[in-house]
Amino acid sequence: MAQQQPPIQSQQTSEPLLNVQRMQFWLEKVVCWGQAGSPDIQKDICLHLRRLQGFLQQLVSHINNMSSTTEAMKSLPFLGQFLGRLCWNPYVTADDTSRRLLFQCMWGLYSEHPSNAVERKANQWIQKVLCQLATEEDNAAVQELMKRMGVSPEEYHLKVLRKMVTLLQENIGKSCSSLSNINQRCSCESILATSEACVPLVTCPEAAPLIGALLQRPATCVRAALSEDFLDALSSAYLSQGASLEEQAVVSLWYHSLSSLEGAVLSLLESLLTNTGSTPLEIKQHVAKSLLPKACAQHCSIFLVTSDIFRSILKQAEGNKSIKFLIQTFTSCFLRELALLQPQEHVSLKAFFPQSPQSLLVPLLTLPSEMPQEAWRHHLNWISSSVQRLTEEEEEGDRDSGGSTRGHHKVYEAWFLLVQCGYWVQVTAQLLVTSGPEDFGPLLWLLTFYHHPTRRLHHRALQLVHAKEAWNHLHCLFLVLAGPLPVDRLQSLLTLMSPQPQQPLSPLLILKLLVNFAVFSQQQLSRSTKILQTVVDQSGLAGEAACVLHSLELRLNEESCVSSDSNRVHLRIKALQNI
Amino acid sequence: MEAMLKNVTSTVELLAVAAQSGAVEQWDKQTLSRAFDWARYCEHVFSKFHNVPTVRRIMETQLQLTNQGLQAALPGYTEISFSDLSRCQHLLLVGLLNNPELPSKIMEILFDITSNGNSKNCEYPDVTGLCSRIIQYKSARQVLSPLADLSAVGADAAVQGVMLMERLGALLSQGSEVCQIEHFLDSVLLGCEEAAQHFCLVIAAALLTPKNSTASHDFLLDWLQKKDSMLQHMYSALPTRLLKDVAKEHLKFRDAYCDVLKKWASEMEYSINDRVWVQPSSTTTVSFQKLTEHFLSLFEACPSLKEDVEKELSALKTSDGDFDVRGLSVWGDLLTALKKKQPGKCFALILFSFNPDFSQS
Repeated sequence: MAQQQPPIQSQQTSEPLLNVQRMQFWLEKVVCWGQAGSPDIQKDICLHLRRLQGFLQQLVSHINNMSSTTEAMKSLPFLGQFLGRLCWNPYVTADDTSRRLLFQCMWGLYSEHPSNAVERKANQWIQKVLCQLATEEDNAAVQELMKRMGVSPEEYHLKVLRKMVTLLQENIGKSCSSLSNINQRCSCESILATSEACVPLVTCPEAAPLIGALLQRPATCVRAALSEDFLDALSSAYLSQGASLEEQAVVSLWYHSLSSLEGAVLSLLESLLTNTGSTPLEIKQHVAKSLLPKACAQHCSIFLVTSDIFRSILKQAEGNKSIKFLIQTFTSCFLRELALLQPQEHVSLKAFFPQSPQSLLVPLLTLPSEMPQEAWRHHLNWISSSVQRLTEEEEEGDRDSGGSTRGHHKVYEAWFLLVQCGYWVQVTAQLLVTSGPEDFGPLLWLLTFYHHPTRRLHHRALQLVHAKEAWNHLHCLFLVLAGPLPVDRLQSLLTLMSPQPQQPLSPLLILKLLVNFAVFSQQQLSRSTKILQTVVDQSGLAGEAACVLHSLELRLNEESCVSSDSNRVHLRIKALQNI
Repeated sequence: MEAMLKNVTSTVELLAVAAQSGAVEQWDKQTLSRAFDWARYCEHVFSKFHNVPTVRRIMETQLQLTNQGLQAALPGYTEISFSDLSRCQHLLLVGLLNNPELPSKIMEILFDITSNGNSKNCEYPDVTGLCSRIIQYKSARQVLSPLADLSAVGADAAVQGVMLMERLGALLSQGSEVCQIEHFLDSVLLGCEEAAQHFCLVIAAALLTPKNSTASHDFLLDWLQKKDSMLQHMYSALPTRLLKDVAKEHLKFRDAYCDVLKKWASEMEYSINDRVWVQPSSTTTVSFQKLTEHFLSLFEACPSLKEDVEKELSALKTSDGDFDVRGLSVWGDLLTALKKKQPGKCFALILFSFNPDFSQS
């Protein structure tokens, strides 16, 4: 469970007065909790459990800052009484974090070399309380039975706990009886109380089946609400890897709790962005393992929230290739999970992409492997002209009304969809290798748009001029199969890639084109290698080149297209990766 | 055999050291873990040989010697019997935690919580966090118990019932003597003397466990039939719903149930003042109303029984003179009550409880 770190100043100063007052507050609470367990008390404990953890954390550091137990007891006179009462509160001792902090307080008060009677007494008291907690049974018959059956307390209590969990789980699984008659009492009434009771048990593996059953209960009855405290405790436990939940339970948790879903998406983003050395394959595995694509396929609402997070992150970091790649990978994993669902579970694609330009939806969400390779060029030309039309409409709208947010929005959504379906951008780069001067225009436009979505008309025109120039250089470099290497072309290409402020074209675009030329053209391998090597060395884009090669390899493996050329291409990729 | 005797003796000595001597101050994680290994070894020895009289006798003699030696050396030493070996780990733990010389580092290992849940990753998974786990299980049970009041038996009795049947099954499969197994059951009963009601639940739970082999169930039923007062207590103390479930499963239980009900009826006397049949001062006090409820529930468990019982009751009524006047024959009034309550059973039962003066209606 994620711990609430107390503010630093209170940790350090530990003013006695402040702590005595807070101690008084908590002592009163604990005394109140110790009275017969009514549902209200259970609710109150669960509501305060997180704050209690925070206070215990402060106590631990307070005690550890003291020079002796005597001093600690003097500074907080009710400390012993408070800790003693907590020890006998099952909600506190059932909760992993609270129990750990409570024991830490006890160890803090244990004196290795007691120097006076108080400290000796404290030691004895600590040992006695802990011994009673661990070995005493409140039921003599139970003790007697354990003895006769030769069963250890650990085994016995574990068995009873499991049995209780099974009984509660079965009860929760019963169908709701109030559907036919709204006035009838139904088993759903116990759902809220059960979920509240599970707050201290979120990290207890034995309670996992019950927690799973609570989460996965179909929300058909108004009385079947889950406690917010329960969902909060569970999300933070899951995020800190403290909760052992089954896959389906995790999906349900995200479905029930928005904050938990946000936490999961952000943690995925964070782990990938901090781990910059990951290969595309590793990223793909990581994304699949996060369970989020599966959850998205099962619940449209989860996908919409996840998309919204991606959309806003991408807006802030438009050119970040890692985020773009993550979104593309995520979408591929999502589409794969969606395809695995039974047809009756399918929701229409429109529901998943309500903001995307609908005419582009099916063409872009269709995977390249789902259509014949001969059709790719025509398909991409169509996509390119559709997006071009959208940008032209946007620019016209700009002229007419002096800036139309609707037009921008449409273009942005088209671009976001293109990022999600980035595999078509990869195909575009591949097809540009085999294009001639007569048909490379729409493809190059699409590739440029992918790298530069928000520039105005004059910028885009300039970018296109540069892109064409780069393509021409590459075309020459990789078309001339014999004779000396056209060094001037190579030099011009490098100039285009050099990072200068007036350089409007992304070096990554040129690099992507270059790698595709090196892989797919008929140029000799040694010459291709040399060209790539030179560019990589001088531009300092070795990491980026490796990444483009990796993702190319990943895509080709996934498509598993069997053509006479595929073997050659794979060999070339392997060779180029050794640069 | 000799090596085993030596090992058991050493372990018993170890238990004494753990509980009473300052030597534990020198213990570390490894010593602690080894101590528990030896305790486990003794538990294993017990489960393997407690049914082999020759070995058991030798062991008992050896233990007696060891106990004498330890008693002389350590005043206040508690003897370890052969049956104590079955829970050696627990005894070791209790001994350690009660030893005033126990160093805090050992306590910290036992109450460790950092490795909770992923005990596979730590060096000595058995001892690390052992107490923390026990406390967690106990506390979690307490947290859930206000909600878990869902079955007639309850989680505790259900688990104990399963344990009892497992133990019984083991004893039977090891070919133990009948008297030995009966002795075991007697000792469990004796242990539960203070909690007779709870023991009834345990027996019911045991009889409701899945019948993997009928031998254990049959043995338990045969034993139960010899305990007349225990059986009567069961029938009067357990909820009829639970009795019905057990009666459905076991013919012997059902027949005994029927016999007890007839016995109770035969003992009843008519109270002229209250105009109702009552049991005279006896250990079980079952009202006429409750008795009728029992019969109805029995018929529900076994509908074929109904005809025979009614025939029998009619015959008894005839022998009482066959009058159709209330208060003369308990059998006649019982028949009337049963016939009234039978159509629409569940509904009738509900009405029943709201209409105490049913005999007039």
